[in-house]
Parts: sequence; C-alpha cells; structure tokens
Amino acid sequence: MSGASVHHWRNQRLSALALIPLTLWFVAAMLGHLGEDRAQFTAWLSQPVPLVLTAVLVLAVLYHMALGLVVVIEDYVTGPKCQSLAISVVRKSALALAVIALVALAKIGFGS
Amino acid sequence: MTPVERPLSPHLQIYKPQLTSVLSITHRATGLALSVGILFLIWFLAAAAWSDGAFALAREFWGSWLGLFCLFGWSFSLFYHLLNGIRHLAWDSGWGFELKTAYLTGWVVVAGSIALTLVAWIAGFCLRGAS
Repeated sequence: MSGASVHHWRNQRLSALALIPLTLWFVAAMLGHLGEDRAQFTAWLSQPVPLVLTAVLVLAVLYHMALGLVVVIEDYVTGPKCQSLAISVVRKSALALAVIALVALAKIGFGS
Repeated sequence: MTPVERPLSPHLQIYKPQLTSVLSITHRATGLALSVGILFLIWFLAAAAWSDGAFALAREFWGSWLGLFCLFGWSFSLFYHLLNGIRHLAWDSGWGFELKTAYLTGWVVVAGSIALTLVAWIAGFCLRGAS
C-alpha cells in the first residue's frame, strides 16, 4: 500500500469526525434562522463564531467530498485517461468552490 | 494456446438484495446527493454576500415546492450519511463486524435517519410558524 492511499483513507475519516459536530451545529443554526431576510441573516453570520464555524464546515465538506468522489470515480470511470481527467476536474472544482465560499464569507464578515 | 474457459463470478443482479448491501450503496448515493447540496449551500452563501436580489431569488427557491423537496432529500441524505458514517467509523475501530450487530446497527441507521429528518422538519415548521 502506498503512502498516498493511507493518507487518503486517514483524511477521509478525520474529516468525517470533524463533520459530526459541525453538521449538527449547522442544522440547528439553520433551523434557528429560517425565513430571515438578508440583513438579519448576514447580521448573524458576520459574528465571529458562526462565521468561523461555517468556513470550517464548508472547507471540511469540500475536502471530504473530493476524497469521496475520487473513490467513486476510481470505481466507476474506466480508462486511465478519463479517470485522471475526472479526478482532476473534481479536485479543481472543489478548490474553486472553496475560494468562492471563503470570499463570500469574508465579504459577509468584514463588510462589502 | 487454446483459451481456457474460466468460471466468472455472477453479476450483481444475481444476488438477492440484503440490508447490508443496500445500506452500503445508499451511503454512496447520499454522498453524491450531498455533493450537489453543497453547491446550493455555497450559492446561498454567495447570494447572501452579494445582493438583496440574489438573496431574494435564493429564498424564493428554498420556499418553492421544488426547493422544499430538494431540502427534504438533502436533510435525509445528511442524517443518513452522518449516522451510517458513524457506523463506518465504528467498523474502522474494529467494532460491530458480527453479522447480528451489522444488521442491528443497520436498522438503527435507517430508523435514526428517518426520525432525525422528521424531528428537524417538525422543528422547522414550529419555528417558522412562531416567527
């Protein structure tokens, strides 16, 4: 077994562990802010704790998602060229989404 | 050299579906559904960051029948993936491999994810009604 596989396996589980409390917090938080308009919602989200937790949640989800999707691709996408292309699309999309989310959160947190 | 006719293992359709295999593929299916869900969550965050118009559009979508249907699917997927993920973590620690235990924890995951989904939606309707 190569070092990369062990790394992948371990990080999938570490991100899963981090996501247990984060997702429970997120569901409760969203339920507490249903139906709010933009000013109310951003007023809450711009506070340090929700802002940091949401940023960590989104990053952990994207990382966990990319690791999981890579395994699905390895299982179902045949042909080495197609497979490596699909994996690189997943990794780059996850990175792009992380940047979009962090910029959005920074804009909410530090004013526009 | 004459080709040797080797026996092939039967295809997936040959096997009778079992709780354990159905739960395993559902873990993957809910993971894929949640991958689409995170796109919508990031869209929502971006809308909140950028403009009143974009946020109003996102709110309109979440309030629509299609939006509520998607939210319901994502909430179930989240609770299922969460509970079955904990089941996987228990296996990784070496616990729960006995057939009886694997079936028991499997049913706990099914019942638990349905129950948590219902609790979340009932809480949502109560909180929405109160505000």
